[in-house]
Amino acid sequence: MTSTPISAEPLPGAAAPHSAQQEKRRRTLSALAFVGPAVFFLLVWTVYPTIYTITRSFFGKSGFSSFVGIDNYKTLFSDHVIRTAIKNNFIWVVIVPFAVTFLGLIFAVLTERIRWATAFKVVVFAPLAISLFATGVMWRVMYQKDPSQGAINAAVKAVSDEFSKPGTLTGAQGSSPKLVPAHGGIQLNQTVQPGGTALLGLTAIPAPDVPAGAKQAVHPQPKSGAITGVVWRDFKPGGGTPGKVESQELGLPGVTVVLRDANDKKVQSAKTGADGSFAFDGVGSGSYHVAISKSTFAKGFAGINWLGGSLITLSMIIAYLWASAGFAMVVIGAGLASIPRDTLEAARTDGATEFQVFRRVTVPLLAPVLTVVLVTQVIGILKLFDIVYSIAPGSTINNATLLAYEMYRRSFLQNDFGLGSAVATFILVLVIPILVLRIRDFRREV
Amino acid sequence: MGTAEATVGARRQPVVIEESFATKLLRGLSKAPIHLLLVLLALLWLVPTFGLFITSIAKPDAIGTGAWWKVLSHPSAFTWANYSHMFHTHSITSALIRTAIITAGATALPLLIAAAAGYAFAWLEFPGRDWYFLIVIGLLVVPVQMALIPIYRLYNGAHLYDTLYGLILFHTAFALPFAIFLLRNFFIGIPRDLMEAARIDGASEARIFFRLILPLGVPALASLAIFQVLFVWNDLLVGLTLAQSNQPLNPLIAQQLRQFGSNLDVIAPAAFISLVVPLTIFALFQRYFVQGLLAGSVK
Amino acid sequence: MRYTLALIAVLALLAAGCGGGGSKKSSSGGGGGNSNVKGSVTMIAVWTGAEQAAFQAVLNGFKSKYPSVKVTYQAQKDPASFLSTAVEGGKPPDLAALPAPGIIKGFVGRGLKPLDFAKSTISANYAPGWLNAGTFDGKLYGLFFKGANKSTVWYNVKAFKDAGVTPPKTWDDLLKDAKTLKASGVDAYSIGGSDGWTLTDLFENIYLRQAGPDMYDKLTQHQIKWTDASVKQALTTMAQVIGDANNIPGGTSQALQTDFPTSVTQVFTSPPKAGMVFEGDFVAGVITSSTKAKAKTDFDVFDFPQIGSSSSDAVLGGGDGVVMFKDNPATEALIKYLASSDAQEIWAKRGGYTAPNKNVDPSVYPDAITRAAAQGIAKSGFRFDMSDQMPAAFGSDAEFSDLQNFLKNPKDVNGAAAQLEADAAKAFK
Repeated sequence: MTSTPISAEPLPGAAAPHSAQQEKRRRTLSALAFVGPAVFFLLVWTVYPTIYTITRSFFGKSGFSSFVGIDNYKTLFSDHVIRTAIKNNFIWVVIVPFAVTFLGLIFAVLTERIRWATAFKVVVFAPLAISLFATGVMWRVMYQKDPSQGAINAAVKAVSDEFSKPGTLTGAQGSSPKLVPAHGGIQLNQTVQPGGTALLGLTAIPAPDVPAGAKQAVHPQPKSGAITGVVWRDFKPGGGTPGKVESQELGLPGVTVVLRDANDKKVQSAKTGADGSFAFDGVGSGSYHVAISKSTFAKGFAGINWLGGSLITLSMIIAYLWASAGFAMVVIGAGLASIPRDTLEAARTDGATEFQVFRRVTVPLLAPVLTVVLVTQVIGILKLFDIVYSIAPGSTINNATLLAYEMYRRSFLQNDFGLGSAVATFILVLVIPILVLRIRDFRREV
Repeated sequence: MGTAEATVGARRQPVVIEESFATKLLRGLSKAPIHLLLVLLALLWLVPTFGLFITSIAKPDAIGTGAWWKVLSHPSAFTWANYSHMFHTHSITSALIRTAIITAGATALPLLIAAAAGYAFAWLEFPGRDWYFLIVIGLLVVPVQMALIPIYRLYNGAHLYDTLYGLILFHTAFALPFAIFLLRNFFIGIPRDLMEAARIDGASEARIFFRLILPLGVPALASLAIFQVLFVWNDLLVGLTLAQSNQPLNPLIAQQLRQFGSNLDVIAPAAFISLVVPLTIFALFQRYFVQGLLAGSVK
Repeated sequence: MRYTLALIAVLALLAAGCGGGGSKKSSSGGGGGNSNVKGSVTMIAVWTGAEQAAFQAVLNGFKSKYPSVKVTYQAQKDPASFLSTAVEGGKPPDLAALPAPGIIKGFVGRGLKPLDFAKSTISANYAPGWLNAGTFDGKLYGLFFKGANKSTVWYNVKAFKDAGVTPPKTWDDLLKDAKTLKASGVDAYSIGGSDGWTLTDLFENIYLRQAGPDMYDKLTQHQIKWTDASVKQALTTMAQVIGDANNIPGGTSQALQTDFPTSVTQVFTSPPKAGMVFEGDFVAGVITSSTKAKAKTDFDVFDFPQIGSSSSDAVLGGGDGVVMFKDNPATEALIKYLASSDAQEIWAKRGGYTAPNKNVDPSVYPDAITRAAAQGIAKSGFRFDMSDQMPAAFGSDAEFSDLQNFLKNPKDVNGAAAQLEADAAKAFK
């Protein structure tokens, strides 16, 4: 561009002397030639649309023929979904800018005196280059509920399984009404006396979950002075007769069975054999409860529902923080670098602790930078759209929604351009305080 | 970032006069938790991107039965087929090309227009100049959402709907307020002597603009260009609204999201490609990016 | 008003149907070579890939009958919004296929031309439900060219065999089988709750059987409220399935995040996560493209069970309706041709297609499963998908989230009905 010879152009400035008046007009005209294209673009694409949208917000679905006054604004504040959007936007604006600034400040301070800080900064900063849309896709992969699909739940599961091991028959249920839940396990609701038998049939066991080496279950033989019984998969194709040991029904080996006395005190426990049989020998007279232990049914960690209605906003905020913390870190880092070191040293010499220096000297000096980060975040959040679109599944979009998304949905998915315009205008109203701030800054500067 | 380090180094000199090896070691050790914390944080920050990448190269049935970190230990579950399939799908490759064209156009055009306007606001006199500039600052905060509906209508009438031009022009207009604001502030810092000299030489405004202002403005223009490239490339809303069969990449992928669980083998590679380009640009021009960021925020 | 007209149409059809019942092929419309019809026709629809090739074959058949008419077909992934902007810009295509009557209705008065010239052809060849779904304000605007039978339930053959159950005929059998499936260790129901339309389809299948076709038509028109006892009864019945959280893989919270294709594939993976999935004949396409399951040995289908004393004729379905923006001999000829069994048999032979024309020869279908699906939607008890016929703000938005909320909390039948009514009232205003 710079190599283009410009000398071929006429040079009006160097021509015959003009009157001051002419000269002034010439200057104005050439200035207008420079700002003209920008003015054209701004008029057509921002000024006219702003006026149009504000006007349109007072008309109904079918266009400028249907004046509805402030009805769209009434809907804005009465429609439960848009109200959720307003509430969510409020939560975002209150929490997120501060969280971003806080994270950025921490990172900037932590990395200030670390040699390999640049590498760290690049890693944390890079997400800023990625679209919020792709960010949403990534985090949606991370947030899947099934611990075998979502990385976050897998990590939680790895930890939680350390503390409570899942049982062998997690989904199993008692096969007849005689078997009731008790002590976290399943218990026969009738007591058993020595010489009696206990039939503990279970169903809802997927075939692959039946332990290897399981054999055909056998109806227990009574034995004097002992309580005998069987734990078996009380199911054969078609269902069979619940509570009855039938052919094709396998015993469940390795299940812990507990014997409790009339006071619910644990007396004995036993493990079942290959055919599911078990026996409690040397049982004194009295009535006993027979139960399958709690550990057998202990459910593994099923996954936190990150994308469900109650957590979706938090999940979106985490993804957004991941994308935005780098911005705050870099801006605040630059602010930190520009703080005069003497001031800090002076404070230290006065005997202030590092934390005091940070709170009393660093943070106040950084205040203008922190304000900039906060304000930038607020504007960004009021326009936030992509992340709602890409993270929230259809079933929780109404819990996740934000104003910018409602504007899109009402206008372009539901064809209610009046209501959509009202939402857009509402967003504009919310950013006006920031506009006032900016203009005040500029006037002070001039 | 470079300056930050330089300052840190400069300050350390006078304070640390002489340290025994033991003191250094002690100091290093006392920082070990911070190092450890930062390493952990950095790894944490990498997980989502890494996870998306692994998901994007996992065989579709591997995605269904287990997650990407399990797939890691089974190289046989990896395949480039997702990518080759994607590039053979006409829709994705053409969307990539469209996105590149839109990005190039919507970066060059606003830079030129904003540079001209920024120059005028900084150095040329015309009535009401400061008032106009105030309006430009005001437009800085107008959300894109304000313009979507009227522009959608306008484009339908003007046959700009679903065209690359339409998208380029829209992005151009919305890049202008910030670009003008930034460039005006940058140009105003050009030494007055330089400008006076050029004017006394009788150079026309056009000549001054092209021969003096633009070359001097390269650092600011470069920063702006990076921002604009990232912004346009990463756009979802405008593409979704103002295009239909000529959509850029992000809106195109967005159409698949409704069936997230079952289309992951299509979504993951496409999303990964969509972020490789801005990440590369970011890596190559990081310096300008940071400069622009600071110029824009720490004014 | 429209209901009365629909009734008249039904009666007219009954009269016509009795007469022509015997003849198998009445080569309706399209007729013999007609080279004096000239011109060109543009058309858009959603069909791409194999579907586009099949439709092109249909158009080739037209070409041989009307050699002087040039038809240009263009695939559009979202025909509704494409058309919306095309109409706004004043340049709609001559013909377009749209996926729902509710969408067609949105274009009535915005340039759509009535298809009354084809009315007699259609009423002679289609079940009345199809004619009604394309009729607005007494005029026919939509010709349904491609149908879908939504009264089908797809099941894992091996899971059913292991559990020792057979495809249920009645709702009670279904519930009993589901219990047995659970006892065998496989959850019975796969619910794609993330896609709201799978829930509306389930509700509509129940409502159509339980409340009957007349009530179904009334509810479609919002002539009765969603707080009506019949709606509550259907919701209660629906809760017997979706409220059986223990019998849904991952419970209801997982169901709410399961999209439709996943709800299909998880039934046919090994080991299966669930035994069966409620959805239309298009499920077969998802199974064959995304799993290794084979027809009959791995997957099979049964008709949506009868509820109480419901008629076995009650079938729910949907389809793509062709609409017309330009009325001339060429477009009229193409519309009549598309309505004919000749045209529909061309695609039916290629598979992946259910013909709404009841005179399509069942033997042309490549497999028994599609044949059965097609015979279903030819029945006189056929009703078009209710949510598709309602205003989009309700039928493809609010009703989805209301039923998703119901899936979350299936005990609150009254609350769900009240919310549905509130949203429906807003949309029908």
